[in-house]
Amino acid sequence: MTDFSLLSSEMQQRLLAYVTSRQAFADPSNGFDELLSTSGKIRSQWQPVLEELAKLDREALLNRCEEAQNLLHENGVTFNTYEDDPGQLRSWQLDSLPYVISTQDWEFLEGGLMQRSRLLEAIVEDLHGPRSLITQGLLPAELIHSFPGYLLPAVSDQPLRRPMLIFHGTDVIRNAMGEWEVLCDWTQSPSGAGYALENRITLARAFPNQYREAPLKRLAGFLQAQHRALASLCTSQREQPNIVLLSPGSGSPGYFEHAWLANYMNFSLVEGADLVVRDGQVSMRTLGGLRQVDVIVRHINDPWCDPLELRGDSLLGVPGLMQAARDGEVEIANALGTGILENPALAAFLDEICQTLLGESLLIKHRKTLWGGDSEHLSQILMSPNTWLVRDITEPAKVIKPEVLNDGERLQLLDKLQSTPWRFVAQAKLSGATSPIYNRRKDIFEANNVNLRFFSLIEPDHLFITPADRRYRIMPGGLAWVGEPGTLLMESRTVKDIWVMAPVPQPHISMLSQASGPIVVTRDGTDLACRVADSLFWMGRYGERLDVRSRLLRETLGRFLQEDQSAEESGLLPDLFTALEIQLPELAMEEERLSNIEDPQRHQQLYRSYRNSLLELFEENHPDGMPWLFNHFIRNCRSVRDHLGDDAWRTVNNLRQRFNDMPRTQGIIVGQRQLEGVVTDLAAFFGLCNETMPHHYGWRFLDIGRFIERVLYTLELLKLALLSARQPGIALCEVVLATTDNFTVYRRRYRSQLHPSAILDLLLFDETNPRSIGYMLKRLERQIRRLPQPNHSPYRNLESRLVIQATSALHLVDIDRLSQIESSKASQVVLSTLLDQLIEPLSELTNAISHSHFSHVEAPVQLVTMQSS
Amino acid sequence: MKYHLKHTTRYDYSSDVTLSHNEARLLPRSLPWQQVSSAQLTINPQPVRLRERLDFFGNRVSYFTIQELHSCLEVTLDSEITTLTRQMPPQGINISWNDAVERMKSQRSFNPLLEDARLMMLDSDFVQSHPSLMEYASQAFQKNRPIVEAIQTLNQQIFTDFTYDPEHTTIATPVLDVLNSRRGVCQDFAHLAIGCLRSIGLPARYVSGYMETLPPPGQPKLQGADATHAWLAVAIPDWGWLEIDPTNGTLPDERYLTLGWGRDFADVTPLKGVMNGGGKDSLSVAVDVTPLSDKHILELF
Repeated sequence: MTDFSLLSSEMQQRLLAYVTSRQAFADPSNGFDELLSTSGKIRSQWQPVLEELAKLDREALLNRCEEAQNLLHENGVTFNTYEDDPGQLRSWQLDSLPYVISTQDWEFLEGGLMQRSRLLEAIVEDLHGPRSLITQGLLPAELIHSFPGYLLPAVSDQPLRRPMLIFHGTDVIRNAMGEWEVLCDWTQSPSGAGYALENRITLARAFPNQYREAPLKRLAGFLQAQHRALASLCTSQREQPNIVLLSPGSGSPGYFEHAWLANYMNFSLVEGADLVVRDGQVSMRTLGGLRQVDVIVRHINDPWCDPLELRGDSLLGVPGLMQAARDGEVEIANALGTGILENPALAAFLDEICQTLLGESLLIKHRKTLWGGDSEHLSQILMSPNTWLVRDITEPAKVIKPEVLNDGERLQLLDKLQSTPWRFVAQAKLSGATSPIYNRRKDIFEANNVNLRFFSLIEPDHLFITPADRRYRIMPGGLAWVGEPGTLLMESRTVKDIWVMAPVPQPHISMLSQASGPIVVTRDGTDLACRVADSLFWMGRYGERLDVRSRLLRETLGRFLQEDQSAEESGLLPDLFTALEIQLPELAMEEERLSNIEDPQRHQQLYRSYRNSLLELFEENHPDGMPWLFNHFIRNCRSVRDHLGDDAWRTVNNLRQRFNDMPRTQGIIVGQRQLEGVVTDLAAFFGLCNETMPHHYGWRFLDIGRFIERVLYTLELLKLALLSARQPGIALCEVVLATTDNFTVYRRRYRSQLHPSAILDLLLFDETNPRSIGYMLKRLERQIRRLPQPNHSPYRNLESRLVIQATSALHLVDIDRLSQIESSKASQVVLSTLLDQLIEPLSELTNAISHSHFSHVEAPVQLVTMQSS
Repeated sequence: MKYHLKHTTRYDYSSDVTLSHNEARLLPRSLPWQQVSSAQLTINPQPVRLRERLDFFGNRVSYFTIQELHSCLEVTLDSEITTLTRQMPPQGINISWNDAVERMKSQRSFNPLLEDARLMMLDSDFVQSHPSLMEYASQAFQKNRPIVEAIQTLNQQIFTDFTYDPEHTTIATPVLDVLNSRRGVCQDFAHLAIGCLRSIGLPARYVSGYMETLPPPGQPKLQGADATHAWLAVAIPDWGWLEIDPTNGTLPDERYLTLGWGRDFADVTPLKGVMNGGGKDSLSVAVDVTPLSDKHILELF
């Protein structure tokens, strides 16, 4: 026990504030506190962290906190809700102060959690095999059968070859009495382990000294063991089992973590449509054809995994998956069926089951739970419903708080409790121990409740030994989040690292350097999933479109400002609006120039409406607006998150921040600044992609997407500027040059003389200019030639033919006939024909490529069934 | 009775199917009152994998995959089945239905009947308990009425109150709609009766199978004119499952051939599948239940 006085005065201030903030909690005199003992002294396990933090002065501490927050943000650590709206992505606050667990407490917790894993495995095996818990009356049948996660097709009398639970999470709190209590288990696809490691890495980077010196247990070894356990599931004699992580997709709440884990553990990140069951085996659709999958780490809940045997309306799953697993053709972790352990009603029976199945008493108690099917329990619930949280096991995700129901809802609930009591459980409300949170704004410690998630893993070497000898290991740390006991992780605003104190300092372990055993050298290539290639392609297209649009809009805003001021400027706005594909303001009349309007009131009106039309493009929900385009871009980025480098991802996050602010853009000049930022961020992003992605198929698809977009946009711009505009000619050409970033090049060559045929040469024919059509066609041709050829046909495929068609049109045109483009009708016809000859094949290119490579799988459909008559 | 059973299901697709995974529950199960001497599935096109297992309820499930490009799928069951007289509850069983409900609710020592019954009391995808179903059942289930008598009354009541109308319902018509419109087919009536029984606390299960039909007097029997049929069974404590057929207001006898049973239709769908491609599909079904009298058997040789 330490006295405050041994710490720095700043630290003493923070602690005093902490003592005050504890008063806000219900029973501060009796409630257990993590940091302070009943005599008001600091508990010894907190000593190292407080002493190390005390070494930093206020400013240094603030900077470090800021740094940690930025790192977290830049890495895009989020838990998104289902809406795919960049503004909705939740970023957490990461508390710089960890949650500290003493060595003695950990001994107890670890033992209790290990026991719990054995118990859960014993229960789940029984429920999918002999079902003795039901036949012996330990578990009521209705409790199991009413729970939507009990999969009858997973019940079998065949003996299991391996445990069903490989890896699971358990939520725990310390209650106000100071006892540990389990709240629930996550047994299908526990989330949070990735976040736990990410939090640790982030804080260790921001507070290197604290983390190097502290005698805390390290986490990386645990994830290595997890990798080993998953790889060992594959019993076939393959050198490198193909392990995939099956995610519901980039719209799901845990997607960040799915991508993170897939990256860290080197699994392929797949979605249901990427997998197919053929010849009984599960395979992944890749550019090079089907590639067999050995182990699936699934992050999809039980009922959604197979539309044939489970929920027929699932679009996330893989038809035939259950049978493949049943035949042992693929291993799924955790096994299908483990979701039954998430049934909240199990808690009411755990003590007795633990005695029966393990012959032990339950070490960590479970949150008090009553089951309505027991008449004594039911009368307890009915006597004072408000003191409980009620849950209907047929809708396990919903928590009912009787005290907030209106009279009608309340009667309905009581009615249901009477008529189908067995469907309901009541969980005790909890009061938790208080724990310190660092408030960096006020520079004080504040008291709050903390929820903890711990992770258990089967010992990798124990997979195939007799069940009685199997042991689990517990990650020495985990994920903590601030909030009342029972707060969902997703609903919390602040997460914390968990420190488990070790008696002595622990060595560092990194995933890469510790890899042992033989490794097969691989090069990312034909094993790229078709869906990933598809997303990379569209990421390229949308990214490029965002770039061209930003440039064009920036130029337009510039012209708009000039036009208002100088009478000499010609009225380009209508043409620029066409280029931007937006409607002219209704007030604007043909041939009318803003600068020529004499009537000040009308001028003002028209000025306003132009201005509004332009600024609308910065608003959310505007179809074709900038945020809308960005949404498409980032959606594709996210679904290839595991293929992008960390630095590239950082630029995506900068863009995200920029677009979050964009809808509040008020002025033209601010808008210009925003767009400039977008242009440079995108350049950084694509530059980093070019520098860091292996120049293999994935990168080629990205590049093809970009250049198709660029070539089409440039052609359309040229057509507008030289032919179809209300005012074709020099002034618009200038905009084209600026939009394609060719102004400087042009000026160096031709001084300030703007000459259409010189522009044509620069933008069409000059293959040394990366913004010319000639260059782009050459690049497309080369990239397409190097794509994998799925059909091994000796003939050119459609996409190559289309590029050749466009290239020939460009090469065969008689350049002399284009020289009089401004004055001669004949020249204009030649140019118009040429541009059409280019645009036509190139607009078919996207379809051709997606047809050959992305193998758009139609969503599987159910057979209709005949009614029995 | 000895029967030859032939059940053909055929799907025609408007565009090619590239891959399909299927589950058939078409092989009849063997029962004390039903001997299955042969049962053969013929699948066209040739499936790549064909696996048979027993499902949770003990029904025979055939899983198969078709990987070749096809625009038509045909699955045919050929089976020879001998049916015997079903046991009826002895006269001695005169427990009232409400005592039966209490008995099954409170009994802790498990036997196989009770284990199944516990499951068949619960709501399922197609059948949920409801006060209006309870009310409809209450006409037959007056307090303290002997259970067998009450069940038979409900069977008759549905047969009398409801009109058989194949145009009226689809595969997914909710039970309450059937109750309101008083129309439907065998599947609807079975679901309705199950809903009534579960609403008052009695376990009931859905049975899928066939029934031999007789041609109008003096006319020959038409090929493929029989149909799949559905009825239900109710758990009687300390005895077993009593089958009733509310579509015909009868108790199933030797003319009823059983495929399998489950909580409702969803558990015993004869053929289901998930496929890639196919466009629109059209389905045709032909069923022949042919009695093999001694004379018939001789003709076969």
